Order: sequence, then C-alpha cells, then structure tokens
Amino acid sequence: MASGYPPPFEGSAEVKEGFLCPLCLKDLQSFYQLQDHYEEEHSGDNRHVGGQIKSLVQKAIKAKDKLLKRDGDERTETSYESFYYGGVDPYMWEPQELGATRSHLDLFKKHRAARIDHYVIEVNKRIIRLEKLTSFDRTNMDAGKIRALEKSVVPWVSDQDVPFCPDCGGKFNIRNRRHHCRLCGSIMCRKCMEFVPLPLAYKLTSSTREALCVPGSPGKGGSPGAGGPVVQQLPRRGSISSLSSVSSVLEEKDEDRIRCCSHCMDALLRHQHKLEEKDHVPDIVKLYERLRMCMEKVDERAPEYIRMAESLNAGETTYNLETAGGLRLEVQKYYEHIDALSKKILTLGLKDEVQPHPKTLQLQRMVRYSATLFVQEKLLGLMSLPTKEKYEELKEKRREEQEKRIQQERQAALEAQKRRSEMEKNRPILSANGDAPRLAQGPRMTKAGGWLPSSDAVHSRSRELDDPLLQQINNIESFLRQARAANRTDEIAMLEENLRQLQDEFDAQQTSRAIELSQRLAEEESLQQSQLQYLEQRELESKLHTRERSLDFGEEKNVEEHGVTGSNSREDLNVSPVLSPLLKTQSIKSFPRLPGNSPPLQRDERTPTPPAGETLNSSTSASLNPFDEDATPIEEDPTNPFSEEIQKEHGQASSRKNKEYNPFEDKEDQEREGKESGPRNPFEDDVDNDDKGNPFKETSNQTPAASTNPFDEDDDGPAVDDIIEEELLLQQIDNIRAYIFDAKLSGRTDEVELLSQNLRELQSTLQEQKRKTH
Amino acid sequence: MNVTLAVKQYISKMIESSGPGMKVLLMDKETTSIVSMVYTQSEILQKEVYLFERIDSQNRDNMKHLKAICFLRPTKENVENLIQELRRPKYSVYFIYFSNVISKSEVKALAEADEQEVVAEVQEFYGDFIAVNPHLFSLNLQGVARGRSWEPTVLPRVTQGLTSVLLSLKKCPMIRYQLSSDMAKRLAESVKQIITKEYELFDFRKTEVPPLLLILDRSDDAITPLLNQWTYQAMVHELLCLNNNRIDLSRVPGINKDLKEVVLSAENDEFYANNLYLNFGEIGTNIKNLMEDFQKKRPKGQQKLESITDMKAFVDNYPQFKKMSGTVSKHVTVVGELSRLVSERQLMEVSEVEQELACQNDHSNAQQNVRRLLQNPRVSELDAVRLVMLYALRYERHSSSILSSLMEELNRRGVSEKYRKIVQAMIDYGGKRVRGSDLITPTDAVAITKQFFKGLKGVENVYTQHQPLLHDTLDQLIKGRLKDSQFPYLGPSSLRDRPQDIIVFIIGGATYEEALTVYNLNRTMPGVRIVLGGTTIHNTKRQLAEVQTEHQNGGRKGI
Repeated sequence: MASGYPPPFEGSAEVKEGFLCPLCLKDLQSFYQLQDHYEEEHSGDNRHVGGQIKSLVQKAIKAKDKLLKRDGDERTETSYESFYYGGVDPYMWEPQELGATRSHLDLFKKHRAARIDHYVIEVNKRIIRLEKLTSFDRTNMDAGKIRALEKSVVPWVSDQDVPFCPDCGGKFNIRNRRHHCRLCGSIMCRKCMEFVPLPLAYKLTSSTREALCVPGSPGKGGSPGAGGPVVQQLPRRGSISSLSSVSSVLEEKDEDRIRCCSHCMDALLRHQHKLEEKDHVPDIVKLYERLRMCMEKVDERAPEYIRMAESLNAGETTYNLETAGGLRLEVQKYYEHIDALSKKILTLGLKDEVQPHPKTLQLQRMVRYSATLFVQEKLLGLMSLPTKEKYEELKEKRREEQEKRIQQERQAALEAQKRRSEMEKNRPILSANGDAPRLAQGPRMTKAGGWLPSSDAVHSRSRELDDPLLQQINNIESFLRQARAANRTDEIAMLEENLRQLQDEFDAQQTSRAIELSQRLAEEESLQQSQLQYLEQRELESKLHTRERSLDFGEEKNVEEHGVTGSNSREDLNVSPVLSPLLKTQSIKSFPRLPGNSPPLQRDERTPTPPAGETLNSSTSASLNPFDEDATPIEEDPTNPFSEEIQKEHGQASSRKNKEYNPFEDKEDQEREGKESGPRNPFEDDVDNDDKGNPFKETSNQTPAASTNPFDEDDDGPAVDDIIEEELLLQQIDNIRAYIFDAKLSGRTDEVELLSQNLRELQSTLQEQKRKTH
Repeated sequence: MNVTLAVKQYISKMIESSGPGMKVLLMDKETTSIVSMVYTQSEILQKEVYLFERIDSQNRDNMKHLKAICFLRPTKENVENLIQELRRPKYSVYFIYFSNVISKSEVKALAEADEQEVVAEVQEFYGDFIAVNPHLFSLNLQGVARGRSWEPTVLPRVTQGLTSVLLSLKKCPMIRYQLSSDMAKRLAESVKQIITKEYELFDFRKTEVPPLLLILDRSDDAITPLLNQWTYQAMVHELLCLNNNRIDLSRVPGINKDLKEVVLSAENDEFYANNLYLNFGEIGTNIKNLMEDFQKKRPKGQQKLESITDMKAFVDNYPQFKKMSGTVSKHVTVVGELSRLVSERQLMEVSEVEQELACQNDHSNAQQNVRRLLQNPRVSELDAVRLVMLYALRYERHSSSILSSLMEELNRRGVSEKYRKIVQAMIDYGGKRVRGSDLITPTDAVAITKQFFKGLKGVENVYTQHQPLLHDTLDQLIKGRLKDSQFPYLGPSSLRDRPQDIIVFIIGGATYEEALTVYNLNRTMPGVRIVLGGTTIHNTKRQLAEVQTEHQNGGRKGI
C-alpha cells in the first residue's frame, strides 16, 4: 500500500451512496430495506413524492437487474480485479495491486539450455545413425555386407571388453551371446536388447529430416508429414517385445528391424511420443475448442440482446422487436450447441472397450458441469421479449408513467412557486416587471409546454415541432416506419441509431436550456434582492393592484420554469443517490438513457405505432388541468372521479387504458413481482399478474369482448394472438426441456416429474393452439 | 491490506498467464487449503481449470492436452516430486509457482530435469498463508511451542508464512514484539533476517509512515479463547469448529446427507457475509427473513401449475430458486444446530458467568456462580473445565481462592483427569507469572477510571461485554501510547508518527473474537488498516489442545 491512497473518507464531506432514502438520506443496505424503510417512515408523506420514490425504486430494480447480469459477465472474463466482496469491510476495498512476485525463469532456462543441448545431441546422433542404417535395401543384401555397413555407422565395442551384460549383469557365454547395439555400438545380452522395426525407423528419420535443419531442437521441426496416422497404429514397446519373442526362433534374422540397446530405444521412443503428441489432437480438444467458441459468441451476443430486451420491455422504441427476436433465437441456438457439445464431451470414450482413465472421465464431467453452469447463469439473464401486443401496452404504459412524472414534477414546482409567490407578494411589482418580457417564451421553453392549461394538446404539439430537431426526429421516425414496412433490417438499425442520437441531442439541448433558464432566474433574483428596499417603499401603494397580476402572469411562467428546472434537477438529485453506485458498473451505453427519463416521453407520444386516437386520448386526458391535481391526483386511484370522467368521455375504448392510468398500482405490482422474481423482468410478470386480476386486460387479450374494443382490433386480432401464444409456448417448452435435462443430470427425480408434467401440459396446449389457428 | 484479495489475485494471475485451454491445477496439501479458501470450484471452473490434483498423487493419467499450473510450497518433497513429474511429464506444459522463496540450487535441479522443455514459467508468488477473512489470516499450525520456546521445525514455517503475508501485501514493516515472550522475540528476529537477506524483494515504494508488524504471544491473553462466543462466525467456530471455512455437521442428529459438510465462505455466500459479525439474536431474525423470502419465491408447492403464466413464472424463477434453496437449507441447519447446542449445554447461563469472570471484579459472586454451575448436571464437561480455568486465571492470586475446592468439584463430577490436568497447564501457560501486560487488573489511572465508568453505566449485553486484550493493545498502538518497555522495536529505529498499516501476529493462534475487534477498529478508525494473523484460529478446544501439547512437550522449567 502506497502513500498515494486517499484517506478512506474525509470527515463531514463524506459522499454518501448506496440505497439512500431520498427523504431522510438514511443509508439502507439494500433495495428491499429501502422499500420497507420508506413504507414505514414516509408512508404518511406527500403522495406524489411517494410516486417519485416508487419510480426511482423501479429504476433501481432495473439497474440492479442489469448489475446482476453484468456481475455474471464479469466473472467469466478473466479480469482479476473484479471480485464479489460480499459484506466485506468497505475499508478494505481500496484498490490493491498484485503482491510481490519473483521470476526464476531466466535462471531456469539457463540451466535447462545446457542440459537440453546434451540431450538433443544424443538423440540426434542416434537418429542420424538410424537414417544411415535404413538408407540401404536390407532385404536383398547378405548378412555379412549388412554387418559391415552397420559397423561403419558406429564403431562396435570389442567383445573382450565386456564380460558381463552391463544392464542385467549376466555373464556372456556360448548360450548367452553378446549383441551389439547398432545405434551406439555397445554390447548387451539378448534379453536386454530391443529392436527398432523398420516402419518406426522410417517414421523417425523422415520427421527428423526436416527437424535436422534446426539443430539443437529435434522436436521443433514441425510435422512428421505423411508418416502420421498410419504409423501411429504401429507397434510400440509392447508389440516390440512380442516381436522379439517370435524372432528368438528365427535367430539373427534382422531383415525388417534394427537391433539396438534399451537405452537407445528408450530415447527413440520418447522422441517418437513427443512427435506424435505434437501432431495428434484428441477429440476432446476439438470439441472443447468448439465449445469455447460458442461460449465466446454468447458472451458477445447476450449482452446485446439483454440491452435490446430491456429497452423493449421498458416500452422504449429504440430497438425493433423482430431484430431482438432474431437475436434471441441466435443466442438460444448457441446454448443448444453448448449443451450438445458438452454432452458429447461427457460421453467421449464411454463406449470404448477400454474405459478411459478415471481422471479423463473426471475431466469430461467437469467440462460438462462448467458448461451447464454457464448455460444456467447466462440463460437466467436472458429475459424474454414482450409479445407484440404486450409491447404496445408497455409502450403505452411507459409513456403514461412519464407523463405522470412530469405532472408530479410540475406539481412540486407549482407548490414551490406558490410558496415563492407568497413571498413575492412583498415585492410584487418587481416580479411582474421582471417576468413579463419572458412570458412569450413560455411554451417553447419546455417540451411539456403543451399541457399547460392555456394551450390545448394539438396546439402544443404543432408548436413542439417548430424545433428543427424535433422535426428531424419526426422525419426519421417516419423513415423508420417505412423501412420497417419494407423489412429492411440494416436500414432500420441505422435509422434507430440515428434516432437515438437525435433524441439524445434533443435531451441535451433541453437540459442546457433549462439550466440556462434557471441561471437567468437566479440572476434576476439577486437583482430583485438589490431592489428590495426600493420596492418596500412602493409596496403600500401598489399592493392591491399587483397581487392579481402576480398571480396571473408570474405563476404561469414560473410553473414553466420550475417544471423544467425541477424536472431536471430533481431527477439528477433523486436518481443519482440511488442509482449512482449501480450505474457505475454499467456499460456506458445504457447510462445516458436512465437519467434522462422525461424526454423520451415526448418521443413516445409521437411514435407512429400506437393508433392516432389513442395518442390523442392520452394527451387530452393528460392535459387535464394540472392545478387541480394536487388536490385530487387522478393517478392514485382508479375509482377517482377524474378517471371515471375520462372513462365516460372515451367510452369503452379507453377503459383498458384507464386501468393503466394507475401507475402507482402498477408499480406496486412490479415491486411485488420484482421481489418474487428477483432480477427477472418485472414488466412481464406484472402483465401476467394483471391477466388474472384485471378484467380490462382479459377482455383485451382473449375474450371475444376484445374484438368490440376498437383499439385492439387495430393491431391484435385473435389470429395474431394465437401466433404469439404459440411462440411463447415454444419458448417455454424449450426452457422446460433444458431444466428437465439439468434436473435429470443431478438426479432430482421429483423435479423431473414435475417438469415433465408441465412439459406435457404445455405441449397439449400447443396442439390446441395449432388446431385453432388452422 | 486485504489478504483474501491478495491470494485471489495471485491465483487469478497464475491462471490468466497460462492462456486459454483446459487446465489442471497441481497443488500440495497446504496450497490446496490456501486456494480453496479464496476460490470455489465453480468460480475456478469458469477460468477453464477443470482438474485439481495433488503433486504427490500417483493416480494421475497422461493428459497431454492439459496445461498444468503448479502452485506448491517450496518444500524438499515438493521439489523432488516436481523433478519426477518433469522427467516424465503428464501434461503438455507446466507453469510453476512456488508460494515462497526457493533456492537457486533447487531451480537448477528442476531445470536439469526438464529435458523435454515443458516448463514455461517458474515464479515465486507469495501466497503462503490461509486467508480466512480479508483482514484475518492463519497458518493452520498447531503445537507451535515446546515449553516456552519454538518447536524447531515450526519457526521456519511461521517465518515463511509471515514474510509471505508481508510480500503479498507489499509491506516492508518495522517490527515490534512482546518483550515478555521469548518466542515473539525469536520470530521477530527471524522475520527481520529474511527481510535483510531478501532486501531486493522487500524493496517497495516507501510510504510516509512505514507499516508496522506487531508480534504477540497468545499466553498474554489466555482468557479470550476460553470464552463462549455469540457472533455468527465465532460461534460456529466455537461450537462446530470451522476448518478452512468448512464445518462438519455429520454428528448433527437427523442431518440430511447433502449437508454433512458445508462450506461457509463470505466470498460467495451473501447471507453469511452479511451476518458474519452479527450476534445470535440478530441472526435468528435474519434467518427468519431469509426463510420468508424463500417461501415467497418458492414455486407454489408441488401442486399442478395451473396456467401458462404460472408455468412461466416457475421456469423463470427456477434456477434462482435452486440457488436460494441451497443457502437457506444450509443456514437454517447451521443456526438450528447452534441453537440446539446452546439450549442443550445451557450456554446462555454458562456464558454469562464466563463474561462475569472475565470482566467483573466480584470474587464472592463469581465463586458462587461457578460453584452453582459446576453442580448443574446439564453443563457439559468442557464448559465446567472452562469455567474453572477462567476462575483460575482470574483469581489465581486471590487471597481466598477456592480453586482447590473447585478442582475437587470437577473430580466429583467425574471430569476426566486429562481435563483436570489442563487447568494447571493453563495456569502455567497463561497465568500471571508469564503475562507481560495487565490482562485483568489495570494499573494506570486512566484504565481504572475507564473501568469504573464502565461499571457505572452497566453493560448493554451481558454476553458480549468482554473486550479482548488485543483491543487495548491496538488502541494504544494506534494512539502512539503503546509502551516501548513492553513492546520494543527490533532494531534501532522507531516510529515517530502514529502507525497506519498494522499487521498483528499472535503466536499460538488468534480468535474470531479478536478478528471482530480488528474489523471494528478498521471500521471506526479512519486511515488505520489492520490485518490480524495467527498460527491458527482458536476455539476453546483447539486452545486446550495447544496448551496440552505444549505442556507435554516441554514441561516447564522451574516447576
């Protein structure tokens, strides 16, 4: 540890992060604790703040989901910096470099080189002699000539010098005769002799012919060429000895082999082994390499898919549902490959007569096990996509949530404004003076301008489009629509990217504008302060007159400003403490999307996908006077008078939507669901959950009543519905099969039973579906 | 200053530098424990390490398609085994890492055996210790002492372990030791010798305040390991005995066969990590929450899943459910067993008296309580002896000590002679005669007033009122008040500033209670980082065994 480390924390300037309660800044250990804490401590607090917390909490869920998945990713990367720390003392978390190390490799190599040289020279000598010995035609030559040739290759040790066999110590006599090694010239008894069969000799020499070009390293010469697979079948030590036992009958007939001592044989065999291994790739390695390739592909593709699926499930329009579906299929295909390959590895050699070594089997089991782990972990993160119909709903929901948030923010701003205006009653003239000239800017300052009571929805929308950026966005969206209709995927991707950039740009612009505004406001305020004295003198005169004005103009304008500045700053403030630690670890790509949640609202509103009527409905209902909202927030209770009014207004058509107007309940559902299903996508579960309890949903989804709903008829007829169900079913069947396999593998029979029962049911449901469609 | 991370980084580095492909990890007995403390199998599988082999195992097949990563202690046997291995290599390529300094001659011997050029790396990676928690390490050595001095074979191993900790954390410390212990002095000198010899290795960037190595002797505080513990980790160790993060539950009545041996590792068990230092009551609550959470998540019984939605939810939650069910059943079993033992052995009562003995100064009350518990037939033999030992250590020199009558009481209870002998051995080990510091009665005015106020305020929790001596020692050290006369520096130079990075090593073993103390100090003292180590991690049984062997081995001079 160096002096360079910053102190773990610095007194009061400590930066808090983690799951902080936005209301009391209490640090809570986890999201659930935060939620509990909130319910206990602040349930009595203002409701719309509550709404904000919930939306934050929801973001936290999402962020946590991402984080969890990312965690998994990181673990498979070989980075040794990122570990899971559990509840370990945070003051131990400081970065730590790798401990001291010391390498002995140089010393090792130096000593080895000396040794290797010696070894290599010995082997090479033998090989060269072997080559000479095999270079003539042995079969058609008489023994004496061969012997002379052999003697010319290496000088033979004279018989008198060796009275005993140097290996076994047996005395040489008439019966136990001396034999010379043709490779080194030494003398051995027959028992200690070995023979190099000619094919082996050819193989050894052929491979070294190239190897000899690189003196000093016989092994490094590369492949032994044609000798390869054929010669491998040829006898090794075992068969050689059997050969020699046969040959004992045909004494001294060395036509197809070369006599050599056991030491030379040993060296040659070792050399041969090395050559063989160099070239021979066992099946397991081939399979394993393919397995790893598939895993790499998954590592590469899955995050991309998850990003898409998350975005789609959140109702965003950045990605295309079909592209994501395609990607999902691709990833699933890789999983199947992984499963199949690892299964193959597991069963390698099991059918052979000679069972593989237990360690080999263990290796195969471990490879399979780790592949299973991999699939389990990754598949867990592979959330499913929404069906087309659900996707529409999600988009809808998201948009409404965002409207809600903006309204809440505006409400908050309004309150602040009220407080302010009360304050300003003391200096009314000034506020009137200062604000009047900027009033004209009002509607354009904010994208949300259209929802002010002063202007109706259609009007504001057209005004929004005055912004060139917005126009551009609009254009691109229509291009996108056309491209989708024409099914040109590459273009779609490009356009989507384009669109995102534009939207980001727009968001940034809005933010900077808001900042600018707030700055100006601050300047003005200081100006006001300086003039306060002067004002106080005139206060009495103008009191009655100006109060009215300040209410008329100032308030309206300030709503604007607070709406914008409030929305931005509030989000920055509230989102960041909760999310910042989570976001840190997320990919940069997903980062910018999160904080800027209000702008996408606009985007969604203008998206072409929902029928025009819907859009209109939602915006008109949203444009209900926000001033009334702090008294009776429509979004809190589905039975509240406002939503009922809307219901009446739009008739049956919007009944389904009305239900969705209730984001608080939805959010609660999601939270509950989120709790139960952990990092799984909360939206889907939510929708599923609704299916059971929500009468509106059911009508829109399956029952014939749905067809009376004009909106549903537009985009999801019963046929589409069935197809989607079918896809879903197929997906489920796939999943369940995977689990059955897993359960079988680990011998959990009860689960297998349960799962296969499910599988059967699913399959029968699928059959039914198919019958219906055809 | 995170020992777990240090070892983990070493091992990841080894695996990483061997490149892609199937790998086998070749270890010896000790390095196997070292690795298993920081990595789980599934974690290491993801790094393509599929086999774990002992270098001394004969049952290994030729697998030329595997790369071998050898992580070995530099012992004679290991080097010899490795030489044999290299002569007839079973794997395609060898990456050799020694956990400590290896001699040049051994490197040469290895190089000469590598005729087939299979060795691709020879390095020293100093992971030569067991990382228990991020701030706690152990050497898993017992019976380190013979009489009052080192068992000759153990001192080199302890020195190696301690220097490897320093190297892995990149610290070149100043050394202080406990003057009253000859063993501490010997170890300090031995460590210093290595630092001097391997000065190149210890040449780290100089920090403003040099790190400090403090070497203590267990005999200075023989009381702490004798107390019953109430925080999760310590309690598990005291009652079930943690061995390399593993506990053996096979003796638990009616145990499921999957749970005969369970692993409790803060590295990959979130519940354990979060509850490591919480007390038994809090754990009870948390485990209840965990259960409830689990109940919610569990698929709705074994009943038929009604709709596609149900099924989908089931499938979605299935892998998570599996994972969670493992954690839940493990902790429920462990906590269940703990609470069974607590009630069976009446540990609440016993512990209360223990704490009173350790912390209060009321002889008459204490002797009454001890006597009362000794007569309680449900108090186990071990606990009875433990109480007598605590009494003996505490009121050794008290004018009206009733130790002899307590010993008779033990005899009457039928406590085995072996145990009764340990009482005397314990007094010899950790009695007043050997203690260098004031374990029990503080002498300086500040400490006396502190204790007085403590007595006035009353204690929050009678079961956890004991603070190990280590707390005071470290507190004084951090504040720069630790007396040079009791804990001298080795060598002429001494630290002028308050120390920041502290490594404490206790000869004769540390305890989890002390680990908790260090954990709390780390948390509450800004800028101070403390790592605690011991020759082993004690619980009462281990401490008794240690005292016993020491007693038997050396006897004591002058008795």
